Amino acid sequence: MDFLIHQMLLTSAARFPNKEVLADAKQRLTYEEFARQTQSLSRAFRETGIQRGDRIGVWLEPSVAQAVSIFGIAQAGAVFVPINILLFPDQVAHIVRDCQIKALVTTQSKMATLASVRQTLPSLGFVVAMDREAELFFDLPVYSFEAFCGGPRADGGNAAPIEKDLAAILYTSGSTGKPKGVMLSHAQIMAGSSIVSNYLSITSEDRILGVRPLSFDAGLNQLMTAVQQGGTFVPMSFVFAKEIVQLLLKERITGMGGVPTLWSLLTQPSSTLEKHSLLNLRYISNTGGRMPQSVLVSLRRMLPTTKIFLMYGLTEAFRSTYLPPEELDRRPDSMGKAIPNTEILVVTDKGEPCKPGEVGELVHRGPTVSMGYWGQPELTARVLRPHPFLAPELGDNERVCYSGDLVKTDEAGFLYFVGRRDNMIKSSGYRVSPTEVEETLFQSGCLREAGVIGIPDPVLGQAIKAFVVPRDGEIVKAEALIAFCTERLPRYMVPKVVEVVGQLPKTPSGKVDYPTLRNNLGA
Amino acid sequence: MQNGSTTAKIRAFLNQQFPMTKNVSDETPLLGSGLIDSLGILEVVGFLEKQFGMTITDEELSPENFGSVHALNDFVNSKRKEL
Repeated sequence: MDFLIHQMLLTSAARFPNKEVLADAKQRLTYEEFARQTQSLSRAFRETGIQRGDRIGVWLEPSVAQAVSIFGIAQAGAVFVPINILLFPDQVAHIVRDCQIKALVTTQSKMATLASVRQTLPSLGFVVAMDREAELFFDLPVYSFEAFCGGPRADGGNAAPIEKDLAAILYTSGSTGKPKGVMLSHAQIMAGSSIVSNYLSITSEDRILGVRPLSFDAGLNQLMTAVQQGGTFVPMSFVFAKEIVQLLLKERITGMGGVPTLWSLLTQPSSTLEKHSLLNLRYISNTGGRMPQSVLVSLRRMLPTTKIFLMYGLTEAFRSTYLPPEELDRRPDSMGKAIPNTEILVVTDKGEPCKPGEVGELVHRGPTVSMGYWGQPELTARVLRPHPFLAPELGDNERVCYSGDLVKTDEAGFLYFVGRRDNMIKSSGYRVSPTEVEETLFQSGCLREAGVIGIPDPVLGQAIKAFVVPRDGEIVKAEALIAFCTERLPRYMVPKVVEVVGQLPKTPSGKVDYPTLRNNLGA
Repeated sequence: MQNGSTTAKIRAFLNQQFPMTKNVSDETPLLGSGLIDSLGILEVVGFLEKQFGMTITDEELSPENFGSVHALNDFVNSKRKEL
């Protein structure tokens, strides 16, 4: 029995030493090679001063090296922090500072982009760079990733964590403020992997395409399920949907997950999906937002032999619900029911269970509920709370996750998404906090007020719209503000529309009244 | 001369829309490294079609044509010869 994520790898390596586990455009690894590289990497980390529980950032594109890094860090007893390759230096710096990252695994060129923020990262002790060119980044030692992976293997578990230990921190946005780090233990990641393998029937025969960043819980879960079951994981980054179709064919992919934006791109004629029959593709799964019905209809037509799983999850509870494919005809707009070994409660404002049809907050109970937000006990206490209906004799030690998502059930217990309790925006599968965008807008120096909302968008799910009030005497041009944001934010956070207004609607306490903005001005 | 101005126009657009491309060379890969993502590429296609009055076919949407400033320049120039 495995308790730790790197033990899963060693178990699969013992079962299938010569089987392919990872493949990208640059390299292909067997389980034996994968285990050897991660063991070498873990030893090198330890010898460079990494202690149990230290945080190590992984800022790489989806690749074999990214997977090797994650397992090598876990084996060293440290905590991996996957950082989305699309983030800008200021956002990477926020993550490094927030959880005091001690080492960063990245590429030589990505490292160079951090020059302007280097002085703001006191916790950083060294960098491990792919394609290393220099031995120093300012005052920091830079080690070669290739050398770290090729050295002697670790000699044993002297730093062995247990399953309760922190394994990963995934940064995600909420409705306010900067991104927060959701903490996941080994046990929670393992439980997520076992549960998802169970309902997607993943076996060692599966070849799973990883197009979602591993900084997403669902993306990380794909890698973990593949390794746990002895399957193959094929990470890729793409810019043209056509590249995905080509790789699905070339790698004989049997399963892939994506966000609504991806399916939207894949069902456009230029993807060429329609021209091919993907008989190997056993299943696809959607998460990160509701799939538009028109896209679902197209996918079912283009992939007649593929099972479609509509899933729902939030990083704070890892994975929550899925709709069995056989229910698609009857309830195409449902989020489904709880994943195995998990209970979903729908709770009223007063803390009572909802009846069918009654709208309430989705509350998740099960082994994948996270350890909360790194360094933010108050915020954690708001989201992870005692089980509301537990018998008093059991005490209140168990924490369940209040999702902030409003849902209702039908008579058969299937769940339906109604909306968000707060102002969080979901764009292209990413959670975006309005305040993060507003803060960037304010940096322009020409605004008195700003309010940011999500507006419906056929490809993104929600696009970002900003309402801005200029400071007295300032003339504000929408295009100039958008250009300003483009320089500072990843594309999914940049407002698509900026509307200059005289004033913003306010709540009695003087804050921006987002519901009114959405209802009256969002169109 | 025309070559130079094509590259300059492409660079001006990229630098404005994708500020992280400011310091890259003409040969630096733009795709896969986070410089231009799948949503960004739609903007690049729109820009080329508008700026250079060309229509880009599904077949031409490929990393070979969009992979670097140099590749974009070659692609635009080869399309112009077709006209």
